Amino acid sequence: MRELWSLLKTVISPGTFNQMLRSATPVALAAMGGALTEHAGIMNIGMDGMILLGAFVGVIGSYLTASAGLGVLAAVGLGVLVGLLFALFVVKLRSDEFIIGCALNTFAAGATAYLSRAIFGLSGTSGHHVTSLPRLHLNFLNHIPFLGKILNHHSVFVYVTWILVLLMWLFVYKTPWGFWLRASGEQPETLRTAGVSPERMQWLASILCGVFCGLAGAHLSLGYLNGTFTENMSNSRGFIAFACVIFSAANPSKAYLAALMFGFFDALGYRLQGVISSDLTATIPYLITVVMMVYVVVRSRRRRKKNLRQHESLGNLS
Amino acid sequence: MPESIIRFDHVSMAFPGVLANDDISLEIRRGEVFALVGENGAGKSTLMNILYGIYEPTEGEVYIRGERVTEHTPRAAIAAGVGMVHQHFKLVPSFTVAQNIVLSREPRRAGIFFDDRKAMALTRELCEEYGLQVDPEAEVRDLGVGEQQRVEILKALYRGADILILDEPTAVLTPQETDELFAVLRRIVREKNMTVILITHKLYEVMAISDRVGILRQGKLVGVEETKNVTQASLASLMVGREVLFDRLEREGTPGESAIVVEHLFVSDSRGLPAVRGVSLSVRAGEVLGIAAIEGNGQSELLEAVCGLRKPDSGKVLVCGADVTGRDPGAVRGAGLAHIPEDRLRTGVSEEASISDNLLTGRQRDKRFLRFGFHLKADAVRQYTKELYERYDVRSGGIETPAGDMSGGNLQKIVVAREFSFDTPALVIAQPTRGVDIGASEFIHERIMEKRNHGCAILLSSADLDEVLRLSDRIITLYEGAVTGEFEAGAVTREQLGYYMTGDRTQEAANET
Amino acid sequence: MKRKNISYLISLSVSIVLALAIGALVLALTGYSPARAYGEMLRGTFSNARHIGDTLEYAMVLCICALACIVGAKAGIFNVGGEGQLLLGAIVAAQIGVVLKGHSAWLAIPCAILGAMAMGAAYAFIPGILKVKLKVSEVITTIMLNTVAVYICQYLAKGPWKNPNNNIVAGTGNLPKAFWLGKLTPGSNLSTGIFLSAAVAFFVWYVLKKTAAGYEIRLTGQNPRFAFFAGMKTDRIVLLSMLVSGAMCGLVGMLRVYGAEHIFKSSVSNDYYFEGLMVAMIARYEPVTAIAMSLLFAVLKIGAAGMELNAKVPNQIYLIIQTLVIFFMAAEGGVRSAIARRLEARRKAKEVRANA
Repeated sequence: MRELWSLLKTVISPGTFNQMLRSATPVALAAMGGALTEHAGIMNIGMDGMILLGAFVGVIGSYLTASAGLGVLAAVGLGVLVGLLFALFVVKLRSDEFIIGCALNTFAAGATAYLSRAIFGLSGTSGHHVTSLPRLHLNFLNHIPFLGKILNHHSVFVYVTWILVLLMWLFVYKTPWGFWLRASGEQPETLRTAGVSPERMQWLASILCGVFCGLAGAHLSLGYLNGTFTENMSNSRGFIAFACVIFSAANPSKAYLAALMFGFFDALGYRLQGVISSDLTATIPYLITVVMMVYVVVRSRRRRKKNLRQHESLGNLS
Repeated sequence: MPESIIRFDHVSMAFPGVLANDDISLEIRRGEVFALVGENGAGKSTLMNILYGIYEPTEGEVYIRGERVTEHTPRAAIAAGVGMVHQHFKLVPSFTVAQNIVLSREPRRAGIFFDDRKAMALTRELCEEYGLQVDPEAEVRDLGVGEQQRVEILKALYRGADILILDEPTAVLTPQETDELFAVLRRIVREKNMTVILITHKLYEVMAISDRVGILRQGKLVGVEETKNVTQASLASLMVGREVLFDRLEREGTPGESAIVVEHLFVSDSRGLPAVRGVSLSVRAGEVLGIAAIEGNGQSELLEAVCGLRKPDSGKVLVCGADVTGRDPGAVRGAGLAHIPEDRLRTGVSEEASISDNLLTGRQRDKRFLRFGFHLKADAVRQYTKELYERYDVRSGGIETPAGDMSGGNLQKIVVAREFSFDTPALVIAQPTRGVDIGASEFIHERIMEKRNHGCAILLSSADLDEVLRLSDRIITLYEGAVTGEFEAGAVTREQLGYYMTGDRTQEAANET
Repeated sequence: MKRKNISYLISLSVSIVLALAIGALVLALTGYSPARAYGEMLRGTFSNARHIGDTLEYAMVLCICALACIVGAKAGIFNVGGEGQLLLGAIVAAQIGVVLKGHSAWLAIPCAILGAMAMGAAYAFIPGILKVKLKVSEVITTIMLNTVAVYICQYLAKGPWKNPNNNIVAGTGNLPKAFWLGKLTPGSNLSTGIFLSAAVAFFVWYVLKKTAAGYEIRLTGQNPRFAFFAGMKTDRIVLLSMLVSGAMCGLVGMLRVYGAEHIFKSSVSNDYYFEGLMVAMIARYEPVTAIAMSLLFAVLKIGAAGMELNAKVPNQIYLIIQTLVIFFMAAEGGVRSAIARRLEARRKAKEVRANA
């Protein structure tokens, strides 16, 4: 009993949640982009590559200009390019989005590793000075117990992400463009007959997705890891982001919560080392995602059946 | 002379292999309900899609309010006051009613935000103005088809349409909903001086609501009449049939035992609504039983249920004495029934596969093609399919050509060749010659008659009444999923059939004549 | 038929040449000599028996992965989860070897093969049955299950199945030497496993192309409604194809352990299945083409390793070249169908005029 109590205390400590917020942020940023492409009806599994490219270009930008801000800008610029390329293939040329996503991931892994070695040598960025993104130390937060420790001393993007999630949620659900975006994936022909080109919305979604993944990458290398690039450093975060998108049905705020869930289990793994294998706890969010997918199918079936029964009984009454 | 609002001037529209609209000239007047009738594939929807800017006609011009249409997009059509309610609704299921109605013309707040409250208010106003009741806050996916249709109409009205096209609006409605819809249409025509174009193949609807009616047949406009000057029977005879007169077909033998028996069958359509309501029939060896029905009266669902493609709700299907109710197509085939499906591209062939592969299907496990029980003998297969290919006079680039590259007629010959090759005691044939040229049609008819004369029991359905009359020994008429009459083929005229096909509402009329 | 093959070969060659040209440009821009790099790449592949052996071993891995993908794709189910099936197969095979230590290799190796294949198939069953019964997208479920498999393997290799004598962080016990598959060239990874692989590759090609079962798989993938209409048990065919695909991936894992690594550790597969997947896509799901493409990619990869050693060029240039080939092939397909659409429209217009 006592053991359980102390275990619980390690789990529900500010450290866990602080770590959760840290791990969740790069994933959440990418998931914002993935939510957009998902709404536009594009299955985007190329986010991992997009993140990796963003991480690398962010480091290069910061290294060359000695300014982390310009590094982020470079990553965003490259994100636009990658988004354009992705849309060129998937929207314009109608190539299989899966092939392009796969190829993009491999290309990013190859290109960043090659260029990193060509520029920095075998040992990567260690030994080179790369300006990293600042951390925010907010004094007033220190006065709030528990919560203060969770929320303080993070890299700026942890806070920026909150604003971006809010903006994305507003964009998707509260602006006309968000409605067009969702219609472009759900019923493209409806949107077309209403006089709006669904392809244009898909281009927009791809480009914005590139930007978000670029930001996620730049945050990963310049913020999360304080200015280092290592090969394959995206470490499947693009796929986690994809899982978040599926889990949340592409709702940006829910996707952020899903990212927090992944972050939580990540942090939990560290905290419970020696108690449960962190590898086993790490599988939980993925399994939940699969269960969610099954649940969504079952629910929509039930919903259709219910509606049918309702309409039938109404028809019989009249 | 009433004011003309739309004019088609020698309009033609070609798709690969089909001339969907053939030199159509037509005027529609302001403030009238104009019905456009014709069988499936007659070109009704194509013509209206041209008016709505979805297709650009390959020949000819369209004028709206006297102005020549230069930009063929829905956007331009909407701007010109044309609204269209498609057969398959174009709504976003996860959006609310109000959100669907204002899509692309959203009321905004602060210039960038979607004003949901205003959208609701606008929708309510529209509902009241036109007397169409629907909850603006409901999500479209939770609505019934009748309500969804009202949303579509409101959407067109919101966009400022005063010309409203409805593509088979009643196909999905219950009789009550149909009455409501017609009341609304009458009201908007009378009070708002709107023009309504109604695409349909239900003839009593034409009589019930339209002022004038245009009849399309195989892409051609074969008549435009004042509705008060026509009868359902005269419309039916204009709608169906071809101008070519076939020679008489040789018939031999006497019917034997029943090979296909259907008892009290009830079947639902894909949306879960009842489509077949208590049909019983039996087809004897050596006879052709034809089903005469206007599209959408349950004949497709009936045949699919017999063949195992659709599970019936209740009732029985027997093939050669074996109960195959609710079994899969493999089991039904095993009992002795082959099937020519009505939608050959979706169900009857694999377009990617070669002609040879398509001819082999169903025989891939035949002993004569196998070595050691699994190895397909390529030579034997080639020899067999080649022989079939030649016997059925298929014309294309050889048996290795992908089926998708072939014309409709040759493709249908492939399906017929394969299904007839099984030599089953029973056959179900749907739309044997739809989209097939005259020569191939004649060839297929002869093969069907050969099958009958060899003692095969054949259940046949066709949208072409002449075809049903020509091939059948007996004919049943279906209306709204129920049998309305049964006739000896020699003892009935197409006009009489027409009465029974258009439902019991006119049976007294039929008896009077 | 013939014309299609020729146009495919032309577009493939053009794509490869273009990709190599851009690769050369990248090399030059980053300060390497393209001629020297490509020269070393060739030498790295063909200079000695060891390199040729490694190339063949990698080609074998790619080829079986690609064929596994093809078996599913032909039936209309897209197995993206091969990586997970491969890893689980590998770890099960490795553990079987550890458990059966001291027994005859004639017992251990067949057990390992069967165990790995059964494991792979079992893991493919989950997405397969979800697809057939509930129409849940197999692409997404397999992606999720891949990661789950990676973690499970890590857990097993760190925990219950870890050999305390191993000083690596995560790895099963060493495979007893008696169970190692015989090496064909000294020093390389090439083992007698390649014969088994060749047999499997032949088997897949044979079943898909020459048997009634292959015919049914093909038709099910092309038009499932038609296949069902014609009396085939389409659900069963789709599910079985998925299981076979999974079993093949499991087998690759077993071969990696028994032929090359002799232990389960993370280097058993480095997203090899995804490379196999790309091979299958570029080969347009044709088994023979996939075998040829596997060889090409293996030459690139192993050659790149040699290039890195001798010319000090980072080996990842091969990934750049390889994915450029894929991009060009994808672009070519898109451009061609755009042209076809335009031609069709023009032909249509002409026809109408002729008819009028």
